Amino acid sequence: MKKNGILLNFGRDPLLQKLARVMKLSFAIILISCLHVSAGGFSQSRISVDFQSIQLKKALSFIEKKSNFRFLYNEDLVINAPPITLTMSNAEVTEILSRLFDRSGLTYQIMANNLVVLKNGGAKRADIQVSGKVMSATGEGIASVNVLVKGTTTGTATDTSGNYTIMAPENGTLVFSSVGFKTQEIPINNRTTIDVVMEQSDESLQQVVVIGYGTSNRRDLTGSIGVVNPEDLNKRMAANPMTALQGNAPGVQVVTSNQPGGSPTVRIRGVGSFNNTSPLFVVDGMFVDNIDFLNPNDIGEMSILKDASAAAIYGVRAANGVVIITTKKGRYNMKTRVTYNGYVGVQKPTGNFDMANGSQYAAMQLAKGIPADSSKVTTSVARFGGSGLNPTTNTDWYDELLKDNALMHSNSIDLSGGGSTVNYTVGLNYFYQDGILEAENNYKRYNIRLQLEAKPYEFLKLGLTALYTNSTQRNPNRDAFTRAYTASPLYPVFDETNPVTFPKKYTSSGTLGYNNNIFNNPVAVADYWFDRTKGFQVLPTIYAEADLIKNKLSFRSQLSQRYGSSLNQNFLPAYFIDNNQNSRTTVLTTTEDRTENYILDNLLTYRDSRGDHHWTFLLGQSVREERYRSTQVITDSVPTQEEFWYADQGIRRTDGYNEAGYRNASASFFGRLSYDFAGKYLLTATFRADGSSKYQEKWGYFPSIGLGWVISDEKFMDNQKIFDMLKIRGSWGKLGNDGINPNPGYPEVKTGNEFSGIFGSTGGTNGTLITGYRIDPIYGTIGWEEVVEWDGGIDFTMLNRRLKGSVDYYHRQTRDLVFERNVPFTGLRKIGNWGRVNNSGVEVQLNWADKIGKLGYEIGGNLSTLKNEVVDLQGLNNLPSGITEFPTRTSVGQPFNYFYGYEVEGIYQTQEEVNADPIAVANGVQPGFFKYKDQNGDKLLDEQDRVNLGSYLPKVYYGINLGVNYNNFDLSIFFQGLGGNKILNINRGLRQKFPDMNGDEEFVTSLWTGPGSTNEFPSAFATTQTWNNNASSFYVENGSYLRLQNVQIGYNFKLGNQDNSASFRVYATADRPLIWSRYSGITPEVTSPGRLPKDRPAVAERVQATQVSSYGYDQNVYPTTAVYTIGVRITY
Amino acid sequence: MKKIINICLFVSVLVATGCSKFLDRPLEDQAPPTVIDYTNLTTMYSPVSGMYRAAGGENPGFSHWVDLGIRTVRGDDVAKGSSPGDQGTLTDIKNFQNENPGVVSFWGNGNYWNDHFGLVLYINEALADLDRYAANIPAGDAANMALNNQYKSELRVVRAWAHMLVSRVFGDVPIVIDNNTITTIPKSTTTEIRQWIIREMDTAANFLEDARPNQASHVGAVTKYTALLIKAKAAADIAGNDNGSPYWDTVIQATDEIINSGKFSLYPDFYQLFKIPGKLSNEALYELQYSDFGTSTGTSVTPGAFFDFQGPNNNEPPVAGWGFLSPTAEIENFFQSRNDSVRLKTTILYAGATPTTFATTPSGDQIRGNANGQTRFMGKAYLPKNQMTPGRTGYGSNNNVRVLRFADVLLLNAEAKVRKGQNGDIPFNAVRTRAKLNPITGVSLQQVLDERRAEFACEWWGERYNDLIRTGQAATVLAPNGFAPGKEYVPIPQSQRDLNPNL
Repeated sequence: MKKNGILLNFGRDPLLQKLARVMKLSFAIILISCLHVSAGGFSQSRISVDFQSIQLKKALSFIEKKSNFRFLYNEDLVINAPPITLTMSNAEVTEILSRLFDRSGLTYQIMANNLVVLKNGGAKRADIQVSGKVMSATGEGIASVNVLVKGTTTGTATDTSGNYTIMAPENGTLVFSSVGFKTQEIPINNRTTIDVVMEQSDESLQQVVVIGYGTSNRRDLTGSIGVVNPEDLNKRMAANPMTALQGNAPGVQVVTSNQPGGSPTVRIRGVGSFNNTSPLFVVDGMFVDNIDFLNPNDIGEMSILKDASAAAIYGVRAANGVVIITTKKGRYNMKTRVTYNGYVGVQKPTGNFDMANGSQYAAMQLAKGIPADSSKVTTSVARFGGSGLNPTTNTDWYDELLKDNALMHSNSIDLSGGGSTVNYTVGLNYFYQDGILEAENNYKRYNIRLQLEAKPYEFLKLGLTALYTNSTQRNPNRDAFTRAYTASPLYPVFDETNPVTFPKKYTSSGTLGYNNNIFNNPVAVADYWFDRTKGFQVLPTIYAEADLIKNKLSFRSQLSQRYGSSLNQNFLPAYFIDNNQNSRTTVLTTTEDRTENYILDNLLTYRDSRGDHHWTFLLGQSVREERYRSTQVITDSVPTQEEFWYADQGIRRTDGYNEAGYRNASASFFGRLSYDFAGKYLLTATFRADGSSKYQEKWGYFPSIGLGWVISDEKFMDNQKIFDMLKIRGSWGKLGNDGINPNPGYPEVKTGNEFSGIFGSTGGTNGTLITGYRIDPIYGTIGWEEVVEWDGGIDFTMLNRRLKGSVDYYHRQTRDLVFERNVPFTGLRKIGNWGRVNNSGVEVQLNWADKIGKLGYEIGGNLSTLKNEVVDLQGLNNLPSGITEFPTRTSVGQPFNYFYGYEVEGIYQTQEEVNADPIAVANGVQPGFFKYKDQNGDKLLDEQDRVNLGSYLPKVYYGINLGVNYNNFDLSIFFQGLGGNKILNINRGLRQKFPDMNGDEEFVTSLWTGPGSTNEFPSAFATTQTWNNNASSFYVENGSYLRLQNVQIGYNFKLGNQDNSASFRVYATADRPLIWSRYSGITPEVTSPGRLPKDRPAVAERVQATQVSSYGYDQNVYPTTAVYTIGVRITY
Repeated sequence: MKKIINICLFVSVLVATGCSKFLDRPLEDQAPPTVIDYTNLTTMYSPVSGMYRAAGGENPGFSHWVDLGIRTVRGDDVAKGSSPGDQGTLTDIKNFQNENPGVVSFWGNGNYWNDHFGLVLYINEALADLDRYAANIPAGDAANMALNNQYKSELRVVRAWAHMLVSRVFGDVPIVIDNNTITTIPKSTTTEIRQWIIREMDTAANFLEDARPNQASHVGAVTKYTALLIKAKAAADIAGNDNGSPYWDTVIQATDEIINSGKFSLYPDFYQLFKIPGKLSNEALYELQYSDFGTSTGTSVTPGAFFDFQGPNNNEPPVAGWGFLSPTAEIENFFQSRNDSVRLKTTILYAGATPTTFATTPSGDQIRGNANGQTRFMGKAYLPKNQMTPGRTGYGSNNNVRVLRFADVLLLNAEAKVRKGQNGDIPFNAVRTRAKLNPITGVSLQQVLDERRAEFACEWWGERYNDLIRTGQAATVLAPNGFAPGKEYVPIPQSQRDLNPNL
């Protein structure tokens, strides 16, 4: 690039320089398409020289040519100078001069206009005293940083608080270096105070990791903590940071919800509760249930605390693991940096949408040999065309429901900077994701992030962060997806001849004689529906931090809050299709909720060392309160225009108003000791006492201890070359789960009209209520759940830092498992702490990175195994749950909520085979029916023959990443998958209730037609018989999959060759383009659809424990999309 | 600096002192602890009133639709309607496939069990509550003590009836009178259960009101005569087909007492007996009461989907439903063969032959046919449109569910007398002539049983099936459906056996 750019030289006025940079950035953006236009340096002060034993005069003349420096000197001085040998690339001229004359015995002085005057060096100038502070990115002093005067042996090191003092030439250069940080060279330029912010080097072992209520060096950790590189999150095009993390972190299972704005399911190290299994998210100190509101771009640091040693500091909230996030922060003495990141892409539905077509379905209907079924075919012919038994109608309902592509885009801009006493960040993001359902469904989100920290006094820091989120989600009617699976292809979407339908002429499935609510017109199901949630949330945090004893004792007080509110409007228009699908009046359900949470933390941190003993002691106290209130109003007959959607514009239902809410308070005290001896022997001990308002027993105590040994620092490891770093660690601790609905612990007396008898309802009188009440015969008391966890791990870096990895084994036992136990003789259940469950497994993470010439490459992977086993249910034989017809159960020795039913051995092929089997004879079985395995061989098929058919929990999940970079290009490929889990295909199972339904093409075209035709699928007639619709292994399918999760190709370049020139990254990404799976349904990634606000129960829910787990059931699942995006990131 | 330390101290002190209050407040939006004032004897009927409401409910209670299906389909009078696959297990139950895995794990069986026994658990709580009131009745306050005993007896009558219904479906079941023993309590035999019922009813009858239910101080509450009928039914069950059984004397004695009280009479119009005019008539010994309180909007208390379940499908509300049950061709033929036109029109609601053709009811409503080709629906559940409170559209709303009626008393009395070699003509012909049939002199046992079949056809408590079992006729009558001795009862749900190993 040319050195003389088109921009003016603004000299050294800092304000003008900044202005110039801003202008250049503007230019750069405007001229982005003209890449060869230079936005070169504002001063030609950096040049490269390569002097090989040449005369000083020649060297000076070279510099004059290459830069705008001019030399004034006495010829005699130069002629006698020794020849020069000096190689420096892209160096400041002042620095080159300093090196040049250092060895020549000459001195020089830079005058105005870069005129350099050379003098005889007889009078050597005196050194000046330079002092300052060396800080980390977070502004903390760094001890033991080497400070060296460049080109000399003069040096010193910073003290424990990062301060240094050194004597150096006023035009010299200081070199700051320390293990784990990038070495920096800073010209003194006559300054006497130079503060330095050290940047971390790529060496991850020295990385500062956020832990609970503080930070730690990665090297000093004794717990199992997953550190997420925010860059990895930004490679995935997702609204939700946890979605972006899928497959990336060992021990963390993420199940993506594909619906726009949908919340993913996150499980850390298995499932240890029937209640809350979601980890605790801590965003800038505030506890939140999910981070749906967070823009992935806003994340500065993210850690996943997996084991007890790491998580126990969060006590009763920590049982499901903790995800700590700090948003991006400005730094002191940091030049302003602007980052823009934007992408735009299209989503395409992916999956198996192949349903049986019209003729395939007709063939199945006819093959059943039941008049009511074949009549559907003949009616279709008569009504919608065709001849004989060959209807021509062939509606592909998925095709009607799904868009070919849907838009998604995101724009983020981020500004951060800092002076000596203030630093700040401002971030803005707008995200939009359209849904692929052919109806209004999408998600919009605005984020604003503000952060400000000031140091009014040297000992005091005051700060504020505020995250503001505003989102609008249009929820589709997910019933449409099931309807599309079940609906017959034999009727068209529209039927103009039907006089009674309004407002649109949708075909009634009743036209063909379907009279079951499930065979609605799926397109109308999606269409006659409006559901929108508008919400906002503010997360303001203020804090003050004081150094009580400089660099040793500090006190921090922080108030974190969360204010949120959302308004959901569900509007059903008045419409009529048939008796099963209609809404006689418009119905508006408005649900508003409001959240007010706060946490007040007070932390005292004492850090000190004596010789090789180093310790940090944390003492903390915390108070927190959560308040939630939700109000719902249901109104009939409101006008259709949105402006009139208020309860008093229609007829409010008498029972259509309800309110629910809660208040939970807790107070906590906690402490942590981190100790190491010579950095080799590590100890972390934590303790937390949590008091909660939720339970009858108030206080819980959660200790943990972690030990580590950095073997590679031992003397005997000095001579080996394999390991650069090797650490073993182990931990034990207790954690709690208070994500269980509070329980009053006394029998409820139900009163009011609902519980009063009617008397005198006779032929002539209406009857009256006589005040009554009812006492619940069953009630229980509960406390929190407790987890006891062991973890052993190895961290290593080997083969010259090319191979890094860690291996962990964990064993966590949830005790006092809370669930509602069935009580004999009643549908009522009794809640209590009734059992224990173990989760154990191995987590491995490996990464190999190397370079071959200019080609850098990386290959890595992570793998987690999970064994989930219930070990105690306090004598309960089993705990049934799930969908009644296709139940799951939980019993000792088995995993949580395994699918339960008969094992299909095959199909009875012949009447002889039927006759020979007493089970078949006893149950009226015919050829073409399922043959269930008689597990106990008693020639009787009964409850004892039902077995574990598999669990929704994967036994293994993994991620594989490949990356290469060459010059400015980089390419990364990421695979993600899981195995060992099962899916219950409820769509197929619906045939139990609705034998007339359509089905997937494989099922409908593979039905048994005679001996030998198939040993897997029943006959068409058999599909109508209850025998074949029992919960069985036929409906439980392998849910394993391997998915190409992400491919990104990027190109990085700079405009200008300055350090601070704008750098660009342009990239193209494909998310989830390919999947390999044997599952017959649409997608093997099945999330349980979250409940819509409108479906909240009318009466405040006292039902405890989400015991009816819908995990693993494929029902109404929003199809997965592949996303193809292009994007650009500009940092300046 | 000092200031900060002071703030620190202040905060910790604040937290330490504020803590107890901070954590000890009541939980928000949870039912507050209700304090029942057991010294206020004017509220002593409240637990009883609450029990009546529970008995009329679905979970728990007597009115759940699937329970109705399970109770009735095993007789030769009721078949499962709707499309064959829709709750097809009811057909398997009708066909006595008691080992069919679908039947064994049928959700409806568990539902039936829990609805009835769940009610029993509530009643046991209510009885304990009445004991708490009793403890506050001053010595010498005989009036309140009598009321307390009367109220307890009402609870015990309903509890006995719940046991009767659960035993009719599952056979040997436990007698649950103590909620603390539910995880271990063993089964009693069907005979033991009925013997217990007889003892319970004997005790209760001493304290209950000597009144017809529609004359009771709480109109429609069970009275002494309800207890006597339940006693008679229990005795008849034990006596079975053994004419020499002393329990037939018990039947005669109990039914005679009801008849001789002179308080009861048959409602003259059999068709209207099951409609609004027949609610809580002088024939009623127990009805589940519901009401829309005569208003077109607002609260309407209904037996859940009890009526909808039986209503004709593919029709317009208010005369519409799921069409889940269908009177059988056998019962239709039976009525026709004996020219029993009143009971035929009352018991069977006819629909058109196709989805577009209509049949007209005796009350003038048009009932359209359906895709399943089902033409017969449950007539006793039918409520004509013109009897409904204007504005209401729920099928059967404002109607009561008839449980026990005087016709049963008369026919049991006749049967017992015939079995004992006495003349049963008077009670027998009272029932027969109400149905506009000619009286018979010297009625035979089979004629009484046939009359029972006609009178109670398609009612909701499994009377026909119980009679077939009781008289031993099931082995022949139900053989075409797969019945054989030993298949009388549906298996107790495995889920219940898992919870109580003694079941």
